[in-house]
Parts: sequence; structure tokens; C-alpha cells
Amino acid sequence: MLQVEDLHAGYGASEVLTGTTLTVKQGTLVALIGANGAGKTTTMRAISGGLKPSSGKVVLDGQEVQGLDASRIARLGLAHSPEGRKVFGPLSVEDNLLLGAYSRLPRFFGFQAKAQADLDRVYELFPKLRDRTKQAAGTLSGGEQQMLAIGRALMARPKVMLLDEPSMGLAPVIVQEVFRTIRRLKEEGITLLLVEQFAKSALEVADYAYVMERGRIAVEGTPAELSRNERVIAAYLG
Amino acid sequence: MNASIIGQMTVSGALMGLVYALIAYGFQLTYATSKSINFGQGELVMVSAFFSLTLMNLGVPYWLMIPGGLLFGALLGLIVERAGVRLALEQKSEGWILLSIIIGLFFFSAAENIWGRDDRPFPTPISADPIHVLGVDVTRLELSVAVGVLAIMGLVELFKRRTLLGKAFEAVSADRDAAELMGISATRTVMLSYGLSGAVAALAGILVSPITTVGPTMASALILKAFAVAVVAGLDSGFGVVLVGMFLGALESLASFYLGSGWREAPGLVLLILALAMRPTGVFGKATIRKV
Repeated sequence: MLQVEDLHAGYGASEVLTGTTLTVKQGTLVALIGANGAGKTTTMRAISGGLKPSSGKVVLDGQEVQGLDASRIARLGLAHSPEGRKVFGPLSVEDNLLLGAYSRLPRFFGFQAKAQADLDRVYELFPKLRDRTKQAAGTLSGGEQQMLAIGRALMARPKVMLLDEPSMGLAPVIVQEVFRTIRRLKEEGITLLLVEQFAKSALEVADYAYVMERGRIAVEGTPAELSRNERVIAAYLG
Repeated sequence: MNASIIGQMTVSGALMGLVYALIAYGFQLTYATSKSINFGQGELVMVSAFFSLTLMNLGVPYWLMIPGGLLFGALLGLIVERAGVRLALEQKSEGWILLSIIIGLFFFSAAENIWGRDDRPFPTPISADPIHVLGVDVTRLELSVAVGVLAIMGLVELFKRRTLLGKAFEAVSADRDAAELMGISATRTVMLSYGLSGAVAALAGILVSPITTVGPTMASALILKAFAVAVVAGLDSGFGVVLVGMFLGALESLASFYLGSGWREAPGLVLLILALAMRPTGVFGKATIRKV
């Protein structure tokens, strides 16, 4: 569903990605782990178009999308829940969710009715959001904002969902909740690429995983394989 | 120097101040989406007023002329965005300041060449006879300014809150990159904001022209006051501009009555300097709440 081939990207003169290659098959959860600064978030941004790759390919559902605007790639079926959550602070919870489905809703009237089924699904997944539909998203707690960011990405009914550091800055209890949610998304058959610093938890939910080092994939394999790899154990699972 | 004169001055000044508020509101619209404003906005007011006058001279009735004028203003706003602002924003430069001034100068010269340098009357079916309300005389013309300003601001705010496109507008203001990830094109949203801002400028021209007459320099004083209002109220404060605009209008009217007409421009500049010195985010500038 998503193929990344020999992707190079960076900021100005400094190249961060030096040839990243990875594949996310339909209905699988793929984890991307690695140290800080290895290029995980840059990979995500280069896939979703926030950063233009200098070379390489990104293929989404058979279509090459590298170099397109982020909004165009999103309309083609990629939902990216970014690092730091990036909810629309001044807007209400419900408005945030509605905007998640922007590309397939009418622009002026009737969008609420058309999105209702998806809204209900997200509220069922995150009951806490249902109590706060009118509250400004910026006033939610960090964990609630993360739920909102995931819910917003779900609203798009994406072909592939990128989830960048969903556990960042959250209390341990909330992190567990986030991982329960991720497991649930996987059970629903959503195709997911997950970036995580908590390598152990990520490997527990993933079908396949890539380990990034200095801008490229250093090791890849199923979680079982990676947990036997001494290099990975020493660096990330120790 | 009795109370009724003070009341009279305050009310008619405040009504005129709404025009400053409307132009300042136009600044807010583009600032929200792109953190840029059109420094040639005054020329948009003026050229749209001339265009609307021409429409009426061609026999278009007043009420049909208004949508025509608004569309023309929106078109001018789009030209400013496409020809100037976008080029600078794509380079992440502050060049939009200079480019928008240059485009404004171009509009100014064009207006002088097409319509001449003379001030011309702007006919209106709305009567200028005073009517007596709560001890002060106001004209229907002055009231029409207030109604027009509040109506268009209300419509734009409704659009932003009630339609998905409007919510997308707010999303781009809040977080441009995140909005792009939702499939919202930030470039198109910036275009939309410049179009709206141009239409708002055109309405300001249509509303104020019957009172001030139409001429190439009609907007130079207006625009300065609108800047003062935008800065004092804050560039993100929605209806704050209405209050500040009315306040400034009333103050000017009282200053010119009591101190002489030469002092008319003083309050705006004094307010501007005070605001910049004491509260650069504006009196109504929002302190955004954000938990991380």
C-alpha cells in the first residue's frame, strides 16, 4: 500500500535521509524505531509532503506521490498524525474532527450530517472526546489531544495512516491507553506506519519493523527477529 | 458646549469609525491565514469606489452595483495575492510589504489615468436628511455605513464558523502545516482570504464614498486610521476592531470640533504610538491557551 524507495531528503544543505527504503503492506502495522535524530520524523514528513524529498520514490496505492503538496497527498488517502499532535487549538473538538474528513465532505452545507457516522465511530473509540465536543482543542490534556489527533486522522478514512510519536510527553498510564488504541486500530484493519521512541511497546504491536540509523534503515524484520538481534537489543531494547 | 453637541459628535464620529474598523478587518482576514497584509489596501478601497461609480454611470442601479463592486474588489485582492504576496511568501521573505505597496502605487497611477485627479460625488439613493434618535441627529447615510459594516463582518464570521470551508480557513490560521495534512490547500485558503479582504475593502469604499466623495487620494487618510485601529485592537481580535474603530472615530470628531479641524488626524497617531509602546499585541490581542 505504501512503498518508499531510496528516499533522500533534508533541510537546506544538510541531508537527513540518505536513502530510506521501506514498505507497508495493506492491513499491517509497521513500526519505525531508532534513536533521536535518526530521521524517523523526517521520513514521515517526506512521505506526507511536508518536506519535499530531493530524490527517491514514495508510492501510495500504486501512485507516485513524491514532490506533491501535502494537501494533495492527503486527498489521495494518506493521513498523517504529526509529531506534537498539532490539533487546531482555537477550534472545537468536533471542528477538529470534521476537518480531518475535509477532503471528502461538502464545503458549505450538509457536512455535519455526512460526517455523522464517522464522528460516532471516533466518539465510540474515544468516549472522552464525546463529552467535550464543543471545547477548544487547545484546552484538552495532552492525552486527550493525542486521542483527538488520532481521531482526526481516522476521519479521513485513510488508505494509510502515519502515526508519529503518539506517546510523546504523556504519562505512563496514558501511554498504555494510546497503545491499546493502536492495537484496536490494527484489529480494524487500518494500514499503519508508527514511529515510536518506546521501541519495546512498538515491537509488541507491530507486524514488521524497521530500525533507522543516521538517515537509513539499518536493520529490518519481524518483531520476533528483531528481539533476537543483538545489535537491536543493545541499542533499543536493553 | 453642551452635552447634546458632545453626543452628536460622538455618535457621528463613531459611525464613521466603523469604516476604519471594516478596513482593519480586511487586514485581519489576510493576516490570519498568511501573516501578511496588503499595504496597498487603501488603493483597493479607492479603485473599487471608482469602478462602482463607473458602473452606476453606465446605468447599473445602486443595489445591483454593490455586488458588482464587491466582486471587483475581490478580484483586485486576488491580483495582489497572485502578483505580489504569493511570490514573497513562497520565498519565506518579507518582500510582500514592498510588493503590496508597489502594486498599490500601480493601482493609484492607473486610477489617475483612467478617472482623473478630481474628486467626484458618489450618488446614492439613501437620504442624507437627519433623523432624530435619542437626542442626536443621525442621517440615514451614516446609519447605512453602520449597517453595511456590521452586516458584512457578521456574514464573514458566520461563514468562518458555520461552513466547512470557513473552518478550514480557521484551521490554516491556527496551524498551516497541520491543515495541509488534512488535505486543506493553504495556498488556496490564502487566496480566499485575499479575495474576501478585497471585497471588504470595496464595501468600505462604496459605503464611505457618498460622504467623502471619490478621488485618487480618498483613502490615504482612511488607511492610516485603519492601520492604527488594527494595531490598537490587535491583528487577531475579530470584533475588537469595531470597538476601537468607533472609539477612534468619536475621538477624532471631538478633537476636530474642540481643537480645530487640523487636529483631526492626531488621535489616531497618538493611539497608535501608545499601543505600540504599551501593548504591541493589541488591546484585544488574544492570549492563546495551549497545553503541550
